[in-house]
Amino acid sequence: MAKLQRGESECELEKGVRVSVEMSDSSEDEGPEEVAFEESRSAALKSEEEKLQAAKREKELLKEKRRKRQQFFQEQKKKRLLSDTLLEEFDTVPQKQKKLSDDRDEEKDNKQQKLTKSKKKKASRSLQGNCSVMRLKDESADSSMQQSAMDFIQARLYGSGTLRTTNAELLSLEKKRGVKKGAAVQFVNKKWGAEQKAKAEKSNKRFIHRQKLVTT
Amino acid sequence: MGEFKVHRVRFFDYMPSAIRALAFQPQREKIAVARTSGSVEIFNCADRFFQEKIIPGREQAATEALAWVGDRLFSAGLNGVISEYDLENQKVKYTIDAFGGPMWTIASNQQGTHLAVGCEDGTVKLFEVCEGKIQFEKNLAKQKGRILSLSWHPSGSRIVAGMMDMIRVFNTETGQSVHRLLVERGIGASRSVECVVWGVVYLSDGTIISGDSSGKVKIWDDLTGTLIKSHQVTKWDVLALSVSQDETSVVAGTSEGTVVQFQFLSVVLGQEDKEWVQTRIFKNHTHDVRAVLELGTAVVSGGMDTQFVVRPLLDKIEERGPECVLRKIQFPHRSLVSCAKKAGLLLFQYPGHLELWRLGESDGHGASGSVLPVKRKPEKLLHLKIKGEEHICCSAVSPCGEWIAYSTVASFRLYRLHCDNNNVSITKVSKLPKVLSSANQICFSSDSSKLFAASTCSSVHVVSLSQTVHKFVCTLKPKSGETLLTTAVHLLAASEDGKWLASANSDREVQIYNLTKMKLHSTVPVYNSGVTAMAIHPTTNNLFMVHADQQVFEYSIEEKKYTDWSRQVQRNGLHYLWLARDTPVTNVTFNPKNPTHIILHDAYMFCIIDQTLPLPDSSSQFYNQLTLRSLPEKDRTKHSHAFKMCKTFKELMFVELMEDQSLVAVERPLVEIAAQLPAPVRQKKFAT
Repeated sequence: MAKLQRGESECELEKGVRVSVEMSDSSEDEGPEEVAFEESRSAALKSEEEKLQAAKREKELLKEKRRKRQQFFQEQKKKRLLSDTLLEEFDTVPQKQKKLSDDRDEEKDNKQQKLTKSKKKKASRSLQGNCSVMRLKDESADSSMQQSAMDFIQARLYGSGTLRTTNAELLSLEKKRGVKKGAAVQFVNKKWGAEQKAKAEKSNKRFIHRQKLVTT
Repeated sequence: MGEFKVHRVRFFDYMPSAIRALAFQPQREKIAVARTSGSVEIFNCADRFFQEKIIPGREQAATEALAWVGDRLFSAGLNGVISEYDLENQKVKYTIDAFGGPMWTIASNQQGTHLAVGCEDGTVKLFEVCEGKIQFEKNLAKQKGRILSLSWHPSGSRIVAGMMDMIRVFNTETGQSVHRLLVERGIGASRSVECVVWGVVYLSDGTIISGDSSGKVKIWDDLTGTLIKSHQVTKWDVLALSVSQDETSVVAGTSEGTVVQFQFLSVVLGQEDKEWVQTRIFKNHTHDVRAVLELGTAVVSGGMDTQFVVRPLLDKIEERGPECVLRKIQFPHRSLVSCAKKAGLLLFQYPGHLELWRLGESDGHGASGSVLPVKRKPEKLLHLKIKGEEHICCSAVSPCGEWIAYSTVASFRLYRLHCDNNNVSITKVSKLPKVLSSANQICFSSDSSKLFAASTCSSVHVVSLSQTVHKFVCTLKPKSGETLLTTAVHLLAASEDGKWLASANSDREVQIYNLTKMKLHSTVPVYNSGVTAMAIHPTTNNLFMVHADQQVFEYSIEEKKYTDWSRQVQRNGLHYLWLARDTPVTNVTFNPKNPTHIILHDAYMFCIIDQTLPLPDSSSQFYNQLTLRSLPEKDRTKHSHAFKMCKTFKELMFVELMEDQSLVAVERPLVEIAAQLPAPVRQKKFAT
């Protein structure tokens, strides 16, 4: 339709050009072109149809995408779960022990199944090789968490970075600043500072020995 | 009065455990105290802070917080378990696992319908409090970081949680976090360490007050989620916060042992606009303060130095009375030492084991106050470790020294001791009557033929002891028919002739049983203060009771009424210095050679009451022993009165008179306890 329009307008333009060679201004003064109602209606309908078709195509594309994703997830799920054959095997394993007197065919089948089962069992064992079995009573995860919580509080209150001193120093300072002045607790009470006293004695003995103050 | 040889015993290495949490129940004015050993103690604020109940702890216990819901007490600990306590029978009723890992805090809402628990994994779990149990309701939004403190808004619609480096406000209906308040870290070296919000408090007008490890108390507004004011209170951590009932006063406990008070006051007098201002600092502790309570009329604090300190706020108290006294409760209000009088043995009760010692001997004589030479040193005969994780609830040794019994919450054990001169052997009695599963108090009869064990519902089981078979004789029940008493017995006293048994329970009821008929004989009229010590006189069979408010009563068992001496004491009134003592009497004993003498002691004195002498009136000198000694003999009778006080021995845990007329005084110097406490903070003081 556009071509027709253009074609018409070209003709008109040519006409206009031929006619109005002398009159160049009059092409701008011309009124709008008259387009037939039928043509414009068909043009509008066509554009609408195209739009609908485009929307449909998009929807279908999305649907396809979704379908593919769904399939992919299902396959992933199936991979995670044990295969159906294995599940059957777990069902039949306890029953296998009950069926002692069977027909030969069944025995054969069982043997075949056993072989396949044993293969699968081995396969299943190797899959879960990293796990070990423990009783809940013996080892509780709680105790490790409790220990880490207690370590946290110990570190925050008494760990590095906290400025802490000893009880001996606290009591000695109280005695020094008290109303009745006294010596530090290490010197007053025999139990305090036993290690330091032992060290001091040892170093005294060493000094005396080195300086040979005591004649042997 | 007489001279006594005194065995001054200092080898009882009693070590209390640190206070970890405090909780106040306003309806009955009780304070629950949780210690690091897992034990929970109930103090009665109205009755001179008497320690009414003790629920023993266990090994590997790590109780972190306590909460009251009405009359029920719950605790949460690092073992990931919420426990409810049976306060009547003094044990744990049940435990429920919250499945959130170690729990740091527990808080109940004001309506008493829900409990919130803060866990290590970052969740706040809400439990609904039902009849007889609690049920998990929901988790609030899970956070990254542990929840260390919780506080409900009084309306119950919001909860504020203190975590690492931040504070979160949750809406309890939706469970989502409404605000995130960021707490800034300390200056200098502490900038690299996370700031821990140790305590939060939510006020009804929307103000949130928090105390953190950088030593700051911060005041936030929850409508806008912004900081209003920050107060640097200390260089170390602020470990605990508590707000008073009327929300005008907040106290904060710090690592350096101070308790700082903030009050909601107007800065300029007369103006209406109020703000939170730091007012007072109380320094009553030497080590970290891990729990505080603002009671309105007093500030209660407890921490790593194991003392329970009550500091009254005198501007809130109207009358002068026993509440105006600063109390430091160091020793338990029960006796941990029992004594075999005839054999000269002492049994020390520790949480996880028992020790039996034989007292030393000395021949010499000396003047009053001198130290006698020791001929034979005291020796430790037995160290009995208990099996299992529970701590010992009560223990006793028979007067002849042949039987030792102890009880935990789950088990009861009886041992037979054979003591030759150098060989000590002990055999466990295996076949005990099944009724004896656990006991709250144990007592032996004076001839060691019967064992009395107090168990549930204030009843007492009587078991006869012999060489071979131990027969269960009967159960003494407090009231036949009518109403059953439910609380546990905490004191038992047997008479010397074996006819009477008295029991006192924590509901202040004292029952006397007739042992020949095995029936209830009479009930002593109820007094509004708890009994701290009682004993039956060997000859007159009068029951002598001392109460927590320092009142003294003597009740004649055979006549079923108070004695004349007791009525005279009540008419006269006790001396004000006797009533002003702040530690309760924990043991009463008698002197067989002087039937009018009564020997009793508390933590800082021991006293002999002579019933023949006149009672002191308020004008006479109460502590008159030294003045009497300086007077000549004839003048002494004019000035002496019935109460003979001796303050030579301090920090007494037990005083008893042995059969050979020698006194045993078990002391525990506070310096020895202080030596084993954890490290305090280093404070630089001027000129040291």
